[in-house]
Amino acid sequence: MTWFMWRQHRVQVMIAAALVVAFAVPVWITGRHLADLLQACRTGTTCGGIFQGYQGFNTVVDLTVIVPLLIGVFWGATIIGRELESGTATLAWTQSVTRRRWLISKLGVLFGFTLLCAGAVTGLVTWWSNTHNAIVETRFAGLQFDIQAIAPIGYALFASALGLAAGVLWGRALPAMATTIGGFVAVRLIVELWARPHYLEPITRILSFAKSDGIPNGASAISTEVTRYGHVVSGPMPAPAQCISATSRPEMNECMHRLGYAIRATYQPAGRFWTFQWIEFGIFAGLAAVLTAVGVIAVLRREG
Amino acid sequence: MNTAIAVTDLGKRFGAKWALQDCTFALPEGRVCGLVGANGAGKTTLLRLLCGLSRPSTGRVEVAGQAPHDSAQFLSEIGYLAQDIPLYRRWSVADHLRMGAHLNRRWDDRAAHDRLRALRIPLDQRVGTLSGGQRAQVALAMALAKRPRVLMLDEPVAALDPLARRNFLSTLADAVADGDLTVMLSSHLVTDLERVCDHLVVLADSRTVLADGLDEVLASHRLLTGARRDTTGVERDHTVLRIERTHRQVSMWVRLNGALHDPHWEVTELSLEEIMLAYLGLGADHGVEPVVDGVPA
Repeated sequence: MTWFMWRQHRVQVMIAAALVVAFAVPVWITGRHLADLLQACRTGTTCGGIFQGYQGFNTVVDLTVIVPLLIGVFWGATIIGRELESGTATLAWTQSVTRRRWLISKLGVLFGFTLLCAGAVTGLVTWWSNTHNAIVETRFAGLQFDIQAIAPIGYALFASALGLAAGVLWGRALPAMATTIGGFVAVRLIVELWARPHYLEPITRILSFAKSDGIPNGASAISTEVTRYGHVVSGPMPAPAQCISATSRPEMNECMHRLGYAIRATYQPAGRFWTFQWIEFGIFAGLAAVLTAVGVIAVLRREG
Repeated sequence: MNTAIAVTDLGKRFGAKWALQDCTFALPEGRVCGLVGANGAGKTTLLRLLCGLSRPSTGRVEVAGQAPHDSAQFLSEIGYLAQDIPLYRRWSVADHLRMGAHLNRRWDDRAAHDRLRALRIPLDQRVGTLSGGQRAQVALAMALAKRPRVLMLDEPVAALDPLARRNFLSTLADAVADGDLTVMLSSHLVTDLERVCDHLVVLADSRTVLADGLDEVLASHRLLTGARRDTTGVERDHTVLRIERTHRQVSMWVRLNGALHDPHWEVTELSLEEIMLAYLGLGADHGVEPVVDGVPA
């Protein structure tokens, strides 16, 4: 069975390995360079312009956000879907190994590969982003949360399981790939936009105009609203007439404060980053488990 | 004689539609059985049930002494060649033989190699670049190298040209001659069936209408012709498959269940093709009792 699986999937494995290596080499070189610059910044004075010339590579690193989807589309959706489509599943199922054993091997290949690929890419990105995280603390906000730490591995498991289930249920590779893309993007957006801000009760603070007050570094902002005497001011707000004469920003802020304006900010503090990562991982790993179970049952029940 | 395949009241339903119904027959070991039926009569469904790829809705199946199920013990007893001859198109022939060697406990690698070499099929060539006939031979060689006791072939020669078809069937005939392999082969080409089969199962409208040895089938079916008259006597004693009446004359395709007493009929032997056509023409309301192993069910 091992030889059979290797013969069947070796091309995909080698392409994936080549891609991971092609990504790892520049990450390793630039990552070490950035770490040296960070060291120099901490011990000395030259902190400006560390990321000078890294915009392009930053984009490449950000693009790893689609790695889980690629794994789901090109591995999950095809690993069984294509065999059902071409009828070769019947060939495998009428040799002297049980369908169960064949399925276990397939799942081993799929999830082993998923963990290795997603783990390698995410590990590299997380390590590389160390400098970035130290200088600008944004890993809890937006895209950085989706490409670092443990959550991307959860996404990859989910994408693979979604592809697997879609491949089995469609019995054809192409519609399974399309379903994987649609389902993955939809679930990721729903979780990111509606569920993630509420994993834990967010912190709400009133930021005064009088002090230079802001959302703490590294936090994930959920909302900021302008209030006057505690009531939310909705809609576009023109500068109050009394303050128009202000000539500088501090003067303006002082004027706003006098009139009773303040800002109410809701956010998740930076210290919750890992808790949120694990919750996010748990959600997607759980969905992956459910979808895998669906796929397994569908294969075992399949009438050929 | 042992029974290789025993099927009792077998039925398979997909949703509301029965793909196979009231299917009953027994196939002795060592036979080569032709499975005949119009398109959609349930041939593929029956073969898939026999190798455990599909589960029966009603009735019982026994193949090589076991009910088909997902176990290495059962799977090593059967060989199956699906209708579209699925193979890994990018793999070489040798890769397929290696796959077979890895996935089967009994695997006659030598025989498979010898067979394909004798047919001059290049082992290092990708299967996708072989001709249809060569692909069918590769698939057959794989199925035979498993050393199954019962081999199921679903329309293996339907897509082949006449020469490839003859080569395929002679490979099959050689393999059968070598041992006590039982074969069930679906086809609608009567000439092929006559060449390799010694047993027949006929499906019409998803039911078995005939299951018997080839010689018995040929011996018991006759065309009766005579001047137009009352036919109820014949219809009572024998199984009438088809009647044609003109102003003066009556023709009846009949399965004789015993001696024919009325000397006024002119009795003509029927070819296998004519017999098959008479059975395949039976509709849902044919009113003919199925004839299984010579006993009206």
